[in-house]
Amino acid sequence: MNILSQLNSPFIYLVCGVIVLFVALLCVVFAVRAYRAGKAIGMDVTKMKRTIVASATFAVLPSVGILLGVIALSGSLGTPWPWLRLSVIGALHYETQVAEAAAEAIGLGGLSASQMTAKAFTTIALLMSVCIMWGMVFSLFTCKRYTSRLNSPSPKKKKEGKGVSLAGFGDQAMTAMFIGLVSAYLGSYIGTLVSGNGLFQFSGSFLPLAVALVGAAAMGVFIWIRNRWNALWVDSFSIAGSMLIAMTAAIFLGRLA
Amino acid sequence: MNEEIKREQYEKYLRSTHRLGRIAILLTLVMLIGAPFVFGAYLKAMPDIGAFAKGFMSIGIVYLVSCIAEYLIYVPMLGAGGSYLAFITGNLINMKIPCAVNARDIVGAKSGTAENEIISTLSIATSSLVTIVVLALGVMLLIPLQPLLQSPALQPAFDNVVPALFGAMACKYYRGNRKIAAVPLIVMSLLFILVPSLTGSTSFMIIPSGAIAIGLAYLFYRRSARPSETEVRS
Repeated sequence: MNILSQLNSPFIYLVCGVIVLFVALLCVVFAVRAYRAGKAIGMDVTKMKRTIVASATFAVLPSVGILLGVIALSGSLGTPWPWLRLSVIGALHYETQVAEAAAEAIGLGGLSASQMTAKAFTTIALLMSVCIMWGMVFSLFTCKRYTSRLNSPSPKKKKEGKGVSLAGFGDQAMTAMFIGLVSAYLGSYIGTLVSGNGLFQFSGSFLPLAVALVGAAAMGVFIWIRNRWNALWVDSFSIAGSMLIAMTAAIFLGRLA
Repeated sequence: MNEEIKREQYEKYLRSTHRLGRIAILLTLVMLIGAPFVFGAYLKAMPDIGAFAKGFMSIGIVYLVSCIAEYLIYVPMLGAGGSYLAFITGNLINMKIPCAVNARDIVGAKSGTAENEIISTLSIATSSLVTIVVLALGVMLLIPLQPLLQSPALQPAFDNVVPALFGAMACKYYRGNRKIAAVPLIVMSLLFILVPSLTGSTSFMIIPSGAIAIGLAYLFYRRSARPSETEVRS
């Protein structure tokens, strides 16, 4: 039996499937608890339903992208392990990097089925699990204290009367942090275009920037429709719709690249 | 309903969320770290601990730093329930964070409130379930779907999921915050233009970019709060 047949065996599927099922159940439990708690504290049920619809539609396209990550890794690591990794804890952009780096670190020339052995696979699988588990580890030990501190001003600030005003700033800080996150990625697309193939050569790939601009334009149209006709339902589909338009544009723009 | 009873119910919910979150994380960690050893027993090839240690020293440290930054940044955005679930299910930057921020924005929830906690948890749980279902269906249909998903014509679309997402999000968030958005965008663009190798560390660059945006937001916040402070003093 060759290595890929071993890595795609029913037993490996069973182990991975059980873990994925466990995490799916966790999601259901967290969602049901949150919904019930929301109702108990008098939250508007319509808002919660809108959240569920918007999040579900939002998640479809990125999930298809993540599926491609599974396909990409399945050629060397079999299908069940990448399926598990990208369903649980893993991230599309980390998983492939870590798997590649782990393969090199243990002495393989790269991540390929021709060089894969059972021992290399189990070692890479362990490295992939440990390298990206720290968010969970920090949550396990410090999430309770961290969230409690975030929601209550320090005694010193309270005494000085600064706590109340900073609490008002919290919301703007979160929006600002998100703007920072988006700016870092957009900046990298601009940098790729201008200096991707050498400083100020303007010969790097224009595709990520162009796709981002199409996504932004599409979003602008959705916002206009929402405001023009007060169509609140548009909010639930605007991100997914903008992404679909931008990704479709990428297919055509890709031919020019 | 009495506000006091509502507050008590919410605090009870938060306490049980922390308890459930910790148990869930502990079990997930045991399963994820245990799985390679179970595979090792089945394949009769246990992980090479020496190679693992060497690999961890070369790549694990890098991801440790990245995970600390992600943890500090994302927990305030997601609240308790959302954080536990997001760190278990992963795909934070490319899905969970934008999804939760979008949901919060749609319903107008303010950070640090009970409403934000509930909305974030619902959003992360729903998006995680969608991913799990899409991946499970994809894996089941892998053979018939593979030629379509890997066709060269569609590759540019799937290679650009993140730019499509961040372009749309930028329009939504830059609109009302132009003054805050302009500086980090210009600074980041200049940095990536002048030091092209930074594109490999974009996730790390979120930290200075976020710090600039938060610093500016704080300046504007202080400036807008000043007249009321003066009024109070007079």
